[in-house]
Amino acid sequence: MLREILGYFFLYFGAAFLFLGSYGLVRFPDLYTRMQASTKSTTLGAFSSVIGVGILHPDWFIKCISVAIFILLTAPIGSSALMRAAYKTGVPLDERTVVDEAKDFFAEDEKEEAK
Amino acid sequence: MIRKVVYSIFLAIIVLSLVLFFAAFPFGKNKMTVGKYYIDHGVQQTGAANIVTSVVLDYRGFDTLGEVSVLFAAAAGVGVLLHMIGERRERKVKVPPNFVVRVGSRIVFPFILLFGVYIFVHGHLTPGGGFQGGSIIASGFLLLYLAYPNYKLKRGGLAAIEGLAGLTFVTLGLYGLLTPKVSFLYNFLPMGVFNTLVSAGILPIIYVAIGFKVASEFAGIIDDMICDVMCRGGEK
Repeated sequence: MLREILGYFFLYFGAAFLFLGSYGLVRFPDLYTRMQASTKSTTLGAFSSVIGVGILHPDWFIKCISVAIFILLTAPIGSSALMRAAYKTGVPLDERTVVDEAKDFFAEDEKEEAK
Repeated sequence: MIRKVVYSIFLAIIVLSLVLFFAAFPFGKNKMTVGKYYIDHGVQQTGAANIVTSVVLDYRGFDTLGEVSVLFAAAAGVGVLLHMIGERRERKVKVPPNFVVRVGSRIVFPFILLFGVYIFVHGHLTPGGGFQGGSIIASGFLLLYLAYPNYKLKRGGLAAIEGLAGLTFVTLGLYGLLTPKVSFLYNFLPMGVFNTLVSAGILPIIYVAIGFKVASEFAGIIDDMICDVMCRGGEK
């Protein structure tokens, strides 16, 4: 009983996050904020859905854990690479952007790489 | 305007003929004779739990040899076309990949290899097989190419693996001609216990060979294409 409650909690938590992520994908103004919405939500959403399935079906628990670990490992790396490539090729930020910390960060990054 | 009308008429004709064509086939009722034969006798005759593998490698093994040759021809064609245009130069990357990607790809790469090997070793038991596993392994090499601008596969080794794998396939097929039942690609090894790793005779061996062959071919194609693309990008 407790196992089912926990499993369904994780499952619906993940589903809610996936919904919020797709909603953000439609609503946000530029590439960076959209990426932020979609990747954060898919990482956590897919992660907790898979964990929920693992809790509901204890036979699959080990498999689900390994799937979740790979989601945690690969999704942020891929999205960070995409984001960095977008920034370096000059995809514009939205007009309403208040602060652009990446500018200073990438300037330092390039200095270090030039050394 | 007239264009759109003509387009829509053509589209309507195509859709209508497709619908009529597929409506002529009964769906989900009586299976066709060949398909029914495979489903009824496949497991007893080949010993493979994955019925697709029993069709692909046993009943239609000769077709698969042709498929592998087509893939080889495609890989060779890509290489010839891209090398005709110009010499190979050093890869130049405008923006080198950052720390996260480099470390992450190192962590993920062995698991990609493991997964690919799992897919083609279990080709006769679970969905998947040599072609799929080989593509997964090649995708791992693509990841290394993307993460490390200086990474370079040794083409000689790739060619050796590819040749050996193809040779294994053909030799196994030719050995079937020496067995009492004189036929090409005859499954001469014992069936083994159904649904275990060592079963279905020569099918797993062939799938391992195909896996190596497809992986090395795709890795070669990736090497050809990525080098050429990167070189051109660097020229500007």
